[in-house]
Amino acid sequence: MGQSRKRVALVIGSGGIKCAAAIGMWRVLQAENIPIDSIVGCSGGSLYAALIAKNIGWQELETLSRSLWTNDIMQGYTENLKASKDGSLRYNERSGLVNDAVMNRNLQQIYGELSFSDLTIPLTIVATDLLLGEKVLLSEGSVFDAIRASLAIPIIFPPWEVNGRLLIDGAVSDPLPIDVAIQNGADIIIAMGFTMSYRQRLRSMTAVQEQVNSIYMNNLLSSTYAFFNLAHHAEIFPIVPEFDEPLTMFDTQKIPQIAESGMQATQEQLPHIRRLLASSQ
Amino acid sequence: MALVNENTRLALVIGSGSVKCAAALGLMKVLERENIGVNLVVGCSGGALYAASIALGWPVETSIDKTLSLWTRRVTEKRSRKAVLQIILPGLFHFDENFGLIDDSRLNRQLYGAFGEASFADTHIPLHIAATDFFDGEQVVLSSGLIWEAIRASLSIPYVFPPYRVAGRALIDGYQSDPLPVGIAIKEGIDIILAMGFESPYQERITSLMRYNFQISSVTSNNLLKTNFAFHNLAHHSEIIPILPEFTQRIHLFDTEKIPYIIDEGEKAAEQALPYLKRLLGATGVSG
Repeated sequence: MGQSRKRVALVIGSGGIKCAAAIGMWRVLQAENIPIDSIVGCSGGSLYAALIAKNIGWQELETLSRSLWTNDIMQGYTENLKASKDGSLRYNERSGLVNDAVMNRNLQQIYGELSFSDLTIPLTIVATDLLLGEKVLLSEGSVFDAIRASLAIPIIFPPWEVNGRLLIDGAVSDPLPIDVAIQNGADIIIAMGFTMSYRQRLRSMTAVQEQVNSIYMNNLLSSTYAFFNLAHHAEIFPIVPEFDEPLTMFDTQKIPQIAESGMQATQEQLPHIRRLLASSQ
Repeated sequence: MALVNENTRLALVIGSGSVKCAAALGLMKVLERENIGVNLVVGCSGGALYAASIALGWPVETSIDKTLSLWTRRVTEKRSRKAVLQIILPGLFHFDENFGLIDDSRLNRQLYGAFGEASFADTHIPLHIAATDFFDGEQVVLSSGLIWEAIRASLSIPYVFPPYRVAGRALIDGYQSDPLPVGIAIKEGIDIILAMGFESPYQERITSLMRYNFQISSVTSNNLLKTNFAFHNLAHHSEIIPILPEFTQRIHLFDTEKIPYIIDEGEKAAEQALPYLKRLLGATGVSG
Protein backbone atom coordinates (compact mmCIF):
# COMPACT_ATOMS: atom_id res chain seq x y z
CA MET A 1 0.00 0.00 0.00
CA GLY A 2 0.96 3.60 0.06
CA GLN A 3 1.96 5.98 -2.62
CA SER A 4 5.10 4.16 -3.60
CA ARG A 5 3.19 1.21 -5.04
CA LYS A 6 3.36 0.96 -8.78
CA ARG A 7 0.19 1.78 -10.65
CA VAL A 8 -1.25 -1.14 -12.58
CA ALA A 9 -3.44 -0.71 -15.66
CA LEU A 10 -5.43 -3.33 -17.47
CA VAL A 11 -5.94 -2.96 -21.22
CA ILE A 12 -8.40 -5.18 -23.10
CA GLY A 13 -8.13 -4.81 -26.85
CA SER A 14 -10.59 -5.50 -29.64
CA GLY A 15 -11.31 -9.09 -30.63
CA GLY A 16 -15.04 -9.77 -30.80
CA ILE A 17 -16.02 -12.86 -28.87
CA LYS A 18 -12.36 -13.67 -28.16
CA CYS A 19 -12.49 -10.85 -25.62
CA ALA A 20 -14.29 -13.35 -23.35
CA ALA A 21 -10.71 -14.43 -22.53
CA ALA A 22 -10.81 -11.43 -20.17
CA ILE A 23 -13.05 -13.54 -17.89
CA GLY A 24 -10.14 -15.94 -17.34
CA MET A 25 -7.67 -13.11 -16.94
CA TRP A 26 -9.86 -11.43 -14.31
CA ARG A 27 -10.25 -14.74 -12.49
CA VAL A 28 -6.49 -15.03 -12.13
CA LEU A 29 -5.92 -11.39 -11.18
CA GLN A 30 -8.67 -11.47 -8.56
CA ALA A 31 -7.44 -14.74 -7.07
CA GLU A 32 -3.95 -13.31 -6.83
CA ASN A 33 -5.15 -10.00 -5.40
CA ILE A 34 -3.38 -7.99 -8.05
CA PRO A 35 -4.50 -4.40 -7.51
CA ILE A 36 -5.84 -2.68 -10.64
CA ASP A 37 -5.73 1.10 -10.72
CA SER A 38 -7.21 1.79 -14.14
CA ILE A 39 -8.80 -0.05 -17.04
CA VAL A 40 -8.90 0.65 -20.76
CA GLY A 41 -11.18 -1.19 -23.18
CA CYS A 42 -11.58 -1.18 -26.92
CA SER A 43 -14.42 -2.65 -28.99
CA GLY A 44 -15.32 -6.15 -27.66
CA GLY A 45 -12.79 -5.53 -24.90
CA SER A 46 -14.84 -2.61 -23.59
CA LEU A 47 -17.68 -4.99 -22.67
CA TYR A 48 -15.40 -6.73 -20.17
CA ALA A 49 -13.43 -3.66 -19.18
CA ALA A 50 -16.63 -1.96 -17.96
CA LEU A 51 -17.73 -4.96 -15.87
CA ILE A 52 -14.27 -5.43 -14.37
CA ALA A 53 -14.30 -1.72 -13.51
CA LYS A 54 -17.40 -2.48 -11.41
CA ASN A 55 -15.23 -4.99 -9.60
CA ILE A 56 -17.65 -7.90 -10.00
CA GLY A 57 -16.65 -11.56 -9.63
CA TRP A 58 -15.48 -13.61 -12.60
CA GLN A 59 -18.47 -15.97 -12.45
CA GLU A 60 -20.83 -13.04 -12.80
CA LEU A 61 -18.70 -11.76 -15.66
CA GLU A 62 -19.19 -15.05 -17.45
CA THR A 63 -22.94 -15.14 -16.82
CA LEU A 64 -23.42 -11.56 -18.02
CA SER A 65 -21.38 -12.05 -21.14
CA ARG A 66 -23.59 -14.93 -22.20
CA SER A 67 -26.58 -12.61 -22.15
CA LEU A 68 -24.66 -10.12 -24.30
CA TRP A 69 -23.79 -12.40 -27.17
CA THR A 70 -27.24 -13.68 -28.04
CA ASN A 71 -27.91 -15.38 -31.34
CA ASP A 72 -30.32 -12.74 -32.60
CA ILE A 73 -27.73 -9.97 -32.31
CA MET A 74 -27.18 -9.96 -36.09
CA GLN A 75 -30.83 -9.14 -36.83
CA GLY A 76 -31.45 -7.77 -40.32
CA TYR A 77 -28.00 -8.68 -41.56
CA THR A 78 -29.03 -11.26 -44.18
CA GLU A 79 -31.79 -9.07 -45.64
CA ASN A 80 -29.60 -5.99 -45.81
CA LEU A 81 -26.77 -7.98 -47.33
CA LYS A 82 -29.13 -9.15 -50.05
CA ALA A 83 -30.27 -5.58 -50.60
CA SER A 84 -26.65 -4.44 -50.85
CA LYS A 85 -26.13 -6.87 -53.70
CA ASP A 86 -29.07 -5.87 -55.84
CA GLY A 87 -28.40 -2.19 -55.23
CA SER A 88 -31.61 -1.47 -53.31
CA LEU A 89 -29.80 -0.84 -50.01
CA ARG A 90 -29.49 2.81 -49.10
CA TYR A 91 -26.32 3.37 -47.19
CA ASN A 92 -24.87 6.45 -45.59
CA GLU A 93 -22.57 7.35 -42.71
CA ARG A 94 -25.23 6.35 -40.17
CA SER A 95 -25.96 2.95 -41.66
CA GLY A 96 -24.99 -0.57 -40.73
CA LEU A 97 -25.95 -3.93 -42.18
CA VAL A 98 -27.31 -5.03 -38.82
CA ASN A 99 -30.40 -3.59 -37.21
CA ASP A 100 -28.90 -2.65 -33.86
CA ALA A 101 -32.11 -2.88 -31.80
CA VAL A 102 -31.19 -6.28 -30.32
CA MET A 103 -27.66 -5.27 -29.50
CA ASN A 104 -28.82 -2.03 -27.91
CA ARG A 105 -31.36 -3.93 -25.82
CA ASN A 106 -28.75 -6.46 -24.66
CA LEU A 107 -26.33 -3.71 -23.75
CA GLN A 108 -29.04 -1.69 -21.98
CA GLN A 109 -29.95 -4.69 -19.83
CA ILE A 110 -26.42 -4.96 -18.53
CA TYR A 111 -25.06 -1.44 -18.53
CA GLY A 112 -28.38 0.43 -18.37
CA GLU A 113 -27.99 3.60 -16.38
CA LEU A 114 -24.40 2.94 -15.41
CA SER A 115 -22.20 6.01 -15.54
CA PHE A 116 -18.40 6.18 -15.54
CA SER A 117 -18.55 7.90 -12.16
CA ASP A 118 -20.29 4.85 -10.64
CA LEU A 119 -17.36 2.56 -11.34
CA THR A 120 -14.96 1.33 -8.68
CA ILE A 121 -11.93 1.44 -10.96
CA PRO A 122 -11.43 4.37 -13.40
CA LEU A 123 -12.33 3.28 -16.94
CA THR A 124 -11.54 4.66 -20.40
CA ILE A 125 -13.19 3.34 -23.55
CA VAL A 126 -11.70 3.91 -26.98
CA ALA A 127 -13.72 4.63 -30.11
CA THR A 128 -12.95 6.24 -33.48
CA ASP A 129 -14.45 9.35 -35.09
CA LEU A 130 -15.82 8.04 -38.39
CA LEU A 131 -15.53 11.32 -40.23
CA LEU A 132 -12.22 12.59 -38.84
CA GLY A 133 -10.50 9.23 -38.45
CA GLU A 134 -9.20 10.08 -34.99
CA LYS A 135 -9.16 8.05 -31.83
CA VAL A 136 -11.72 9.27 -29.27
CA LEU A 137 -11.43 8.55 -25.55
CA LEU A 138 -14.60 8.19 -23.51
CA SER A 139 -14.36 8.35 -19.73
CA GLU A 140 -17.43 10.16 -18.53
CA GLY A 141 -21.18 10.00 -18.91
CA SER A 142 -23.04 6.91 -19.99
CA VAL A 143 -21.06 3.66 -20.10
CA PHE A 144 -23.67 2.22 -22.46
CA ASP A 145 -23.07 4.98 -25.01
CA ALA A 146 -19.32 4.48 -24.83
CA ILE A 147 -19.48 0.71 -25.26
CA ARG A 148 -22.05 0.93 -28.04
CA ALA A 149 -19.78 3.36 -29.93
CA SER A 150 -16.63 1.33 -29.38
CA LEU A 151 -18.42 -1.84 -30.60
CA ALA A 152 -19.62 -0.41 -33.91
CA ILE A 153 -17.78 -2.80 -36.24
CA PRO A 154 -17.48 -0.98 -39.57
CA ILE A 155 -20.15 -1.85 -42.13
CA ILE A 156 -21.83 -4.30 -39.73
CA PHE A 157 -23.16 -2.08 -36.93
CA PRO A 158 -24.36 1.50 -37.36
CA PRO A 159 -22.11 4.16 -35.81
CA TRP A 160 -23.23 5.73 -32.53
CA GLU A 161 -23.43 9.41 -31.84
CA VAL A 162 -21.82 10.69 -28.65
CA ASN A 163 -21.58 14.44 -27.95
CA GLY A 164 -22.36 15.24 -31.56
CA ARG A 165 -19.63 13.00 -32.99
CA LEU A 166 -20.35 9.95 -35.07
CA LEU A 167 -18.29 7.18 -33.49
CA ILE A 168 -17.30 3.71 -34.65
CA ASP A 169 -15.17 0.78 -33.50
CA GLY A 170 -12.06 1.75 -31.55
CA ALA A 171 -10.17 -1.01 -33.38
CA VAL A 172 -10.07 1.15 -36.50
CA SER A 173 -7.73 3.65 -34.83
CA ASP A 174 -6.17 1.82 -31.87
CA PRO A 175 -6.97 -1.90 -31.45
CA LEU A 176 -4.87 -2.33 -28.29
CA PRO A 177 -4.83 1.08 -26.60
CA ILE A 178 -1.72 0.76 -24.47
CA ASP A 179 -1.04 4.46 -25.07
CA VAL A 180 -4.16 5.40 -23.12
CA ALA A 181 -2.90 3.47 -20.08
CA ILE A 182 0.47 5.21 -20.40
CA GLN A 183 -1.23 8.61 -20.55
CA ASN A 184 -3.21 7.69 -17.44
CA GLY A 185 0.09 7.26 -15.63
CA ALA A 186 0.40 3.49 -15.35
CA ASP A 187 3.73 1.91 -14.40
CA ILE A 188 2.71 -1.65 -15.13
CA ILE A 189 0.38 -2.45 -18.01
CA ILE A 190 -1.31 -5.80 -18.45
CA ALA A 191 -2.46 -5.76 -22.06
CA MET A 192 -4.72 -8.44 -23.45
CA GLY A 193 -4.81 -8.30 -27.25
CA PHE A 194 -6.12 -10.39 -30.11
CA THR A 195 -5.29 -10.69 -33.78
CA MET A 196 -8.08 -11.05 -36.29
CA SER A 197 -8.21 -14.33 -38.19
CA TYR A 198 -7.80 -14.34 -41.93
CA ARG A 199 -9.90 -16.25 -44.37
CA GLN A 200 -8.34 -18.63 -46.80
CA ARG A 201 -11.19 -18.24 -49.25
CA LEU A 202 -12.91 -15.05 -50.22
CA ARG A 203 -16.24 -16.04 -51.64
CA SER A 204 -18.26 -12.85 -51.23
CA MET A 205 -17.95 -9.09 -51.05
CA THR A 206 -18.47 -9.29 -47.29
CA ALA A 207 -15.55 -11.71 -47.02
CA VAL A 208 -13.36 -9.25 -48.94
CA GLN A 209 -14.45 -6.38 -46.68
CA GLU A 210 -13.67 -8.44 -43.62
CA GLN A 211 -10.29 -9.49 -44.96
CA VAL A 212 -9.32 -5.94 -45.96
CA ASN A 213 -10.27 -4.60 -42.52
CA SER A 214 -8.56 -7.49 -40.70
CA ILE A 215 -5.32 -6.78 -42.55
CA TYR A 216 -5.44 -3.11 -41.57
CA MET A 217 -6.27 -3.81 -37.96
CA ASN A 218 -3.66 -6.54 -37.47
CA ASN A 219 -0.97 -4.33 -38.95
CA LEU A 220 -2.15 -1.49 -36.76
CA LEU A 221 -2.08 -3.77 -33.73
CA SER A 222 1.46 -4.94 -34.34
CA SER A 223 2.78 -1.47 -35.06
CA THR A 224 1.09 0.17 -32.05
CA TYR A 225 2.35 -2.61 -29.84
CA ALA A 226 5.88 -2.31 -31.26
CA PHE A 227 5.84 1.44 -30.80
CA PHE A 228 4.60 1.59 -27.24
CA ASN A 229 6.72 -1.32 -26.17
CA LEU A 230 9.70 0.71 -27.29
CA ALA A 231 8.52 4.16 -26.27
CA HIS A 232 6.95 3.59 -22.89
CA HIS A 233 8.55 4.05 -19.56
CA ALA A 234 6.12 1.50 -18.14
CA GLU A 235 6.38 -2.28 -18.11
CA ILE A 236 4.01 -3.92 -20.56
CA PHE A 237 2.91 -7.52 -20.11
CA PRO A 238 1.21 -8.74 -23.27
CA ILE A 239 -1.39 -11.43 -22.81
CA VAL A 240 -2.24 -12.92 -26.16
CA PRO A 241 -4.40 -16.04 -25.79
CA GLU A 242 -4.06 -18.65 -28.49
CA PHE A 243 -7.05 -20.27 -30.13
CA ASP A 244 -6.96 -23.45 -32.20
CA GLU A 245 -9.76 -22.36 -34.50
CA PRO A 246 -11.18 -19.14 -35.90
CA LEU A 247 -14.01 -17.87 -33.72
CA THR A 248 -17.03 -15.92 -34.90
CA MET A 249 -19.61 -13.87 -33.07
CA PHE A 250 -21.89 -16.88 -33.09
CA ASP A 251 -19.57 -19.11 -31.05
CA THR A 252 -21.25 -18.12 -27.78
CA GLN A 253 -21.24 -21.71 -26.54
CA LYS A 254 -17.43 -21.60 -26.61
CA ILE A 255 -17.20 -18.81 -24.02
CA PRO A 256 -15.98 -21.19 -21.26
CA GLN A 257 -13.12 -22.46 -23.46
CA ILE A 258 -12.23 -18.91 -24.47
CA ALA A 259 -12.16 -17.88 -20.81
CA GLU A 260 -9.94 -20.88 -20.10
CA SER A 261 -7.42 -19.77 -22.74
CA GLY A 262 -7.40 -16.33 -21.17
CA MET A 263 -6.70 -17.87 -17.79
CA GLN A 264 -3.77 -19.88 -19.11
CA ALA A 265 -2.27 -16.94 -20.96
CA THR A 266 -2.51 -14.81 -17.80
CA GLN A 267 -0.93 -17.47 -15.61
CA GLU A 268 2.08 -17.51 -17.90
CA GLN A 269 2.69 -13.83 -17.20
CA LEU A 270 1.81 -13.99 -13.52
CA PRO A 271 5.27 -14.71 -12.05
CA HIS A 272 6.68 -11.70 -13.95
CA ILE A 273 3.86 -9.40 -12.86
CA ARG A 274 4.19 -10.49 -9.24
CA ARG A 275 7.94 -10.04 -9.23
CA LEU A 276 7.64 -6.53 -10.56
CA LEU A 277 4.92 -5.62 -8.06
CA ALA A 278 6.93 -7.06 -5.18
CA SER A 279 10.02 -5.13 -6.14
CA SER A 280 8.14 -1.86 -5.83
CA GLN A 281 6.59 -2.36 -2.43
CA MET B 1 21.67 11.67 -63.60
CA ALA B 2 21.94 11.15 -59.88
CA LEU B 3 25.24 10.94 -58.11
CA VAL B 4 25.95 8.30 -55.53
CA ASN B 5 27.23 9.35 -52.14
CA GLU B 6 30.37 7.57 -51.09
CA ASN B 7 30.15 7.27 -47.36
CA THR B 8 26.61 8.09 -46.42
CA ARG B 9 23.81 5.97 -47.74
CA LEU B 10 20.71 7.97 -48.54
CA ALA B 11 17.31 6.44 -49.27
CA LEU B 12 14.18 7.94 -50.70
CA VAL B 13 10.92 6.36 -49.50
CA ILE B 14 7.75 7.39 -51.31
CA GLY B 15 4.56 6.38 -49.54
CA SER B 16 1.11 5.79 -50.94
CA GLY B 17 -0.86 8.82 -52.08
CA SER B 18 -2.02 8.26 -55.67
CA VAL B 19 -1.27 11.24 -57.91
CA LYS B 20 0.12 13.25 -54.99
CA CYS B 21 3.16 10.97 -55.12
CA ALA B 22 4.31 13.06 -58.09
CA ALA B 23 5.63 15.41 -55.39
CA ALA B 24 8.61 13.02 -55.29
CA LEU B 25 9.66 14.50 -58.63
CA GLY B 26 9.86 17.94 -57.00
CA LEU B 27 12.07 16.42 -54.33
CA MET B 28 14.28 14.85 -57.02
CA LYS B 29 14.66 18.22 -58.75
CA VAL B 30 16.09 19.63 -55.53
CA LEU B 31 18.41 16.66 -54.95
CA GLU B 32 19.71 16.80 -58.53
CA ARG B 33 20.31 20.53 -58.33
CA GLU B 34 22.28 20.00 -55.12
CA ASN B 35 24.16 17.00 -56.54
CA ILE B 36 22.92 14.80 -53.75
CA GLY B 37 22.82 11.16 -54.83
CA VAL B 38 20.26 8.58 -53.80
CA ASN B 39 21.43 5.07 -52.93
CA LEU B 40 18.08 3.34 -52.59
CA VAL B 41 14.49 4.04 -53.59
CA VAL B 42 11.44 2.49 -51.96
CA GLY B 43 7.90 2.99 -53.19
CA CYS B 44 4.43 2.00 -52.11
CA SER B 45 1.22 2.14 -54.15
CA GLY B 46 1.17 5.42 -56.14
CA GLY B 47 4.66 6.05 -54.76
CA ALA B 48 5.88 2.89 -56.51
CA LEU B 49 5.33 4.56 -59.90
CA TYR B 50 7.65 7.43 -59.07
CA ALA B 51 10.10 5.30 -57.14
CA ALA B 52 10.51 3.16 -60.27
CA SER B 53 10.94 6.13 -62.60
CA ILE B 54 13.57 7.61 -60.28
CA ALA B 55 15.38 4.29 -59.90
CA LEU B 56 15.43 3.86 -63.67
CA GLY B 57 17.07 7.27 -63.95
CA TRP B 58 14.35 8.90 -66.01
CA PRO B 59 14.61 12.66 -66.22
CA VAL B 60 11.81 14.48 -64.37
CA GLU B 61 10.20 15.56 -67.67
CA THR B 62 10.02 11.96 -68.89
CA SER B 63 8.41 10.89 -65.64
CA ILE B 64 5.81 13.62 -65.95
CA ASP B 65 5.03 12.69 -69.57
CA LYS B 66 4.73 9.03 -68.74
CA THR B 67 2.50 9.64 -65.74
CA LEU B 68 0.23 11.88 -67.75
CA SER B 69 -0.28 9.19 -70.36
CA LEU B 70 -0.43 6.33 -67.86
CA TRP B 71 -2.53 7.61 -64.99
CA THR B 72 -5.70 8.77 -66.65
CA ARG B 73 -9.34 8.31 -65.82
CA ARG B 74 -9.38 5.73 -68.58
CA VAL B 75 -7.75 3.14 -66.33
CA THR B 76 -10.90 3.05 -64.21
CA GLU B 77 -13.40 3.62 -66.98
CA LYS B 78 -13.95 0.00 -67.77
CA ARG B 79 -16.03 -1.46 -64.97
CA SER B 80 -15.76 -5.17 -64.55
CA ARG B 81 -19.04 -6.66 -65.72
CA LYS B 82 -18.13 -9.87 -63.97
CA ALA B 83 -17.72 -8.04 -60.64
CA VAL B 84 -21.27 -6.72 -60.81
CA LEU B 85 -22.58 -10.23 -61.34
CA GLN B 86 -20.29 -11.61 -58.66
CA ILE B 87 -21.73 -9.21 -56.09
CA ILE B 88 -25.29 -10.21 -56.94
CA LEU B 89 -24.74 -13.95 -57.36
CA PRO B 90 -21.39 -14.82 -55.75
CA GLY B 91 -21.93 -18.57 -56.05
CA LEU B 92 -22.95 -18.67 -59.68
CA PHE B 93 -20.28 -16.25 -60.87
CA HIS B 94 -17.55 -17.73 -58.68
CA PHE B 95 -16.73 -14.83 -56.41
CA ASP B 96 -13.16 -15.26 -55.29
CA GLU B 97 -10.16 -13.25 -54.12
CA ASN B 98 -9.60 -11.92 -57.65
CA PHE B 99 -12.60 -9.66 -57.28
CA GLY B 100 -12.20 -6.02 -58.33
CA LEU B 101 -14.77 -3.45 -59.43
CA ILE B 102 -12.59 -2.30 -62.30
CA ASP B 103 -11.39 -4.39 -65.19
CA ASP B 104 -7.62 -4.06 -64.88
CA SER B 105 -6.66 -4.91 -68.45
CA ARG B 106 -6.26 -1.23 -69.35
CA LEU B 107 -4.17 -0.45 -66.27
CA ASN B 108 -1.94 -3.42 -67.03
CA ARG B 109 -1.49 -2.31 -70.63
CA GLN B 110 -0.67 1.25 -69.58
CA LEU B 111 1.87 0.09 -67.02
CA TYR B 112 3.46 -2.23 -69.52
CA GLY B 113 3.48 0.60 -72.05
CA ALA B 114 5.40 2.82 -69.63
CA PHE B 115 7.82 0.33 -68.11
CA GLY B 116 7.88 -2.46 -70.71
CA GLU B 117 10.39 -5.20 -70.02
CA ALA B 118 12.40 -3.12 -67.52
CA SER B 119 13.32 -5.27 -64.57
CA PHE B 120 14.69 -4.48 -61.12
CA ALA B 121 18.09 -5.52 -62.44
CA ASP B 122 17.99 -2.62 -64.93
CA THR B 123 17.69 0.16 -62.39
CA HIS B 124 20.48 2.69 -61.76
CA ILE B 125 19.54 2.83 -58.11
CA PRO B 126 18.37 -0.25 -56.17
CA LEU B 127 14.58 -0.28 -55.99
CA HIS B 128 12.12 -1.96 -53.63
CA ILE B 129 8.37 -1.92 -54.01
CA ALA B 130 6.00 -2.72 -51.14
CA ALA B 131 2.80 -4.72 -51.50
CA THR B 132 0.66 -6.75 -49.07
CA ASP B 133 -0.19 -10.45 -49.09
CA PHE B 134 -3.97 -10.74 -49.31
CA PHE B 135 -4.06 -13.96 -47.31
CA ASP B 136 -1.64 -13.40 -44.47
CA GLY B 137 -1.80 -9.61 -44.31
CA GLU B 138 1.99 -9.24 -44.22
CA GLN B 139 4.06 -6.73 -46.09
CA VAL B 140 5.72 -8.19 -49.19
CA VAL B 141 8.85 -6.50 -50.55
CA LEU B 142 9.34 -6.88 -54.30
CA SER B 143 12.92 -6.42 -55.51
CA SER B 144 13.23 -8.62 -58.57
CA GLY B 145 11.40 -9.40 -61.77
CA LEU B 146 9.47 -7.04 -64.00
CA ILE B 147 8.99 -3.58 -62.58
CA TRP B 148 5.55 -2.99 -64.06
CA GLU B 149 4.22 -6.10 -62.36
CA ALA B 150 5.53 -5.00 -58.97
CA ILE B 151 3.94 -1.57 -59.44
CA ARG B 152 0.69 -3.22 -60.51
CA ALA B 153 0.65 -5.34 -57.33
CA SER B 154 1.44 -2.37 -55.12
CA LEU B 155 -1.37 -0.37 -56.78
CA SER B 156 -4.13 -2.92 -56.13
CA ILE B 157 -6.43 -0.51 -54.30
CA PRO B 158 -8.79 -2.70 -52.27
CA TYR B 159 -12.19 -3.26 -53.91
CA VAL B 160 -11.18 -1.21 -56.97
CA PHE B 161 -8.51 -3.28 -58.68
CA PRO B 162 -8.17 -7.06 -58.41
CA PRO B 163 -5.13 -8.35 -56.51
CA TYR B 164 -2.16 -9.16 -58.70
CA ARG B 165 -0.30 -12.45 -58.53
CA VAL B 166 3.47 -12.42 -58.21
CA ALA B 167 5.23 -15.74 -57.66
CA GLY B 168 1.90 -17.37 -56.83
CA ARG B 169 0.91 -14.92 -54.09
CA ALA B 170 -2.18 -12.75 -54.42
CA LEU B 171 -0.87 -9.27 -53.66
CA ILE B 172 -2.79 -6.14 -52.80
CA ASP B 173 -1.95 -2.52 -52.20
CA GLY B 174 1.16 -1.90 -50.11
CA TYR B 175 -0.64 0.72 -48.05
CA GLN B 176 -2.67 -1.95 -46.32
CA SER B 177 0.35 -3.11 -44.36
CA ASP B 178 2.46 0.06 -44.27
CA PRO B 179 1.59 3.25 -46.17
CA LEU B 180 5.10 4.72 -45.72
CA PRO B 181 7.49 1.77 -45.66
CA VAL B 182 10.62 3.29 -44.13
CA GLY B 183 11.26 -0.08 -42.46
CA ILE B 184 12.45 -1.46 -45.80
CA ALA B 185 15.14 1.21 -46.07
CA ILE B 186 16.20 0.66 -42.46
CA LYS B 187 16.69 -3.05 -43.14
CA GLU B 188 18.96 -2.17 -46.07
CA GLY B 189 21.31 -0.38 -43.71
CA ILE B 190 20.58 3.15 -44.85
CA ASP B 191 21.96 6.15 -42.91
CA ILE B 192 19.57 8.89 -43.97
CA ILE B 193 16.00 8.35 -45.10
CA LEU B 194 13.97 10.96 -46.90
CA ALA B 195 10.42 9.84 -46.20
CA MET B 196 7.71 11.40 -48.30
CA GLY B 197 4.26 10.47 -47.03
CA PHE B 198 0.69 11.46 -47.61
CA GLU B 199 -2.48 11.06 -45.61
CA SER B 200 -5.32 9.35 -47.36
CA PRO B 201 -8.20 11.81 -47.95
CA TYR B 202 -11.54 11.25 -46.27
CA GLN B 203 -14.80 11.05 -48.15
CA GLU B 204 -16.59 14.36 -48.49
CA ARG B 205 -19.87 12.51 -48.10
CA ILE B 206 -20.64 8.89 -47.37
CA THR B 207 -23.51 8.02 -49.67
CA SER B 208 -23.00 4.32 -50.33
CA LEU B 209 -21.58 1.16 -48.86
CA MET B 210 -18.56 1.43 -51.15
CA ARG B 211 -17.84 4.98 -49.99
CA TYR B 212 -18.15 3.73 -46.42
CA ASN B 213 -15.54 1.08 -47.25
CA PHE B 214 -13.22 3.71 -48.71
CA GLN B 215 -13.68 5.84 -45.60
CA ILE B 216 -12.70 2.91 -43.35
CA SER B 217 -9.66 2.25 -45.56
CA SER B 218 -8.56 5.86 -45.18
CA VAL B 219 -9.10 5.91 -41.42
CA THR B 220 -7.18 2.70 -40.82
CA SER B 221 -4.35 3.49 -43.22
CA ASN B 222 -3.87 6.98 -41.77
CA ASN B 223 -3.67 5.57 -38.27
CA LEU B 224 -1.26 2.94 -39.57
CA LEU B 225 0.83 5.63 -41.24
CA LYS B 226 1.22 7.58 -38.01
CA THR B 227 1.95 4.58 -35.82
CA ASN B 228 4.46 2.99 -38.16
CA PHE B 229 6.21 6.25 -38.69
CA ALA B 230 6.34 6.92 -34.96
CA PHE B 231 7.79 3.45 -34.41
CA HIS B 232 10.50 3.65 -37.05
CA ASN B 233 11.39 7.14 -36.05
CA LEU B 234 12.02 5.93 -32.54
CA ALA B 235 13.49 2.53 -33.28
CA HIS B 236 15.81 3.25 -36.17
CA HIS B 237 19.46 3.94 -35.96
CA SER B 238 19.26 6.03 -39.10
CA GLU B 239 18.06 9.59 -39.53
CA ILE B 240 14.56 9.88 -40.91
CA ILE B 241 13.62 13.18 -42.47
CA PRO B 242 9.89 13.42 -43.08
CA ILE B 243 8.97 15.35 -46.18
CA LEU B 244 5.26 16.08 -46.09
CA PRO B 245 4.08 18.32 -48.89
CA GLU B 246 1.10 20.47 -48.00
CA PHE B 247 -1.64 20.78 -50.52
CA THR B 248 -4.14 23.56 -50.14
CA GLN B 249 -6.05 22.30 -53.16
CA ARG B 250 -7.99 19.08 -52.81
CA ILE B 251 -6.45 16.50 -55.10
CA HIS B 252 -8.55 13.65 -56.40
CA LEU B 253 -7.39 10.31 -57.69
CA PHE B 254 -7.05 11.40 -61.31
CA ASP B 255 -6.22 15.09 -61.02
CA THR B 256 -3.21 14.68 -63.27
CA GLU B 257 -3.68 18.23 -64.52
CA LYS B 258 -2.52 19.26 -61.05
CA ILE B 259 0.82 17.46 -61.42
CA PRO B 260 2.81 20.66 -61.99
CA TYR B 261 1.28 22.11 -58.81
CA ILE B 262 1.97 18.85 -56.94
CA ILE B 263 5.59 18.84 -58.07
CA ASP B 264 5.95 22.46 -56.92
CA GLU B 265 4.68 21.57 -53.47
CA GLY B 266 7.07 18.60 -53.35
CA GLU B 267 9.89 20.92 -54.25
CA LYS B 268 8.90 23.40 -51.54
CA ALA B 269 8.72 20.67 -48.90
CA ALA B 270 12.14 19.40 -50.03
CA GLU B 271 13.62 22.91 -49.84
CA GLN B 272 12.49 23.11 -46.22
CA ALA B 273 14.27 19.87 -45.35
CA LEU B 274 17.38 20.71 -47.38
CA PRO B 275 19.42 22.63 -44.77
CA TYR B 276 19.07 19.78 -42.31
CA LEU B 277 19.87 17.17 -44.94
CA LYS B 278 22.99 19.08 -46.02
CA ARG B 279 24.10 19.40 -42.43
CA LEU B 280 23.73 15.65 -41.96
CA LEU B 281 25.60 14.91 -45.16
CA GLY B 282 28.26 17.43 -44.18
CA ALA B 283 28.57 15.92 -40.75
CA THR B 284 29.38 12.56 -42.24
CA GLY B 285 31.90 14.02 -44.63
CA VAL B 286 29.95 13.86 -47.86
CA SER B 287 28.38 17.04 -49.05
CA GLY B 288 27.15 17.92 -52.47
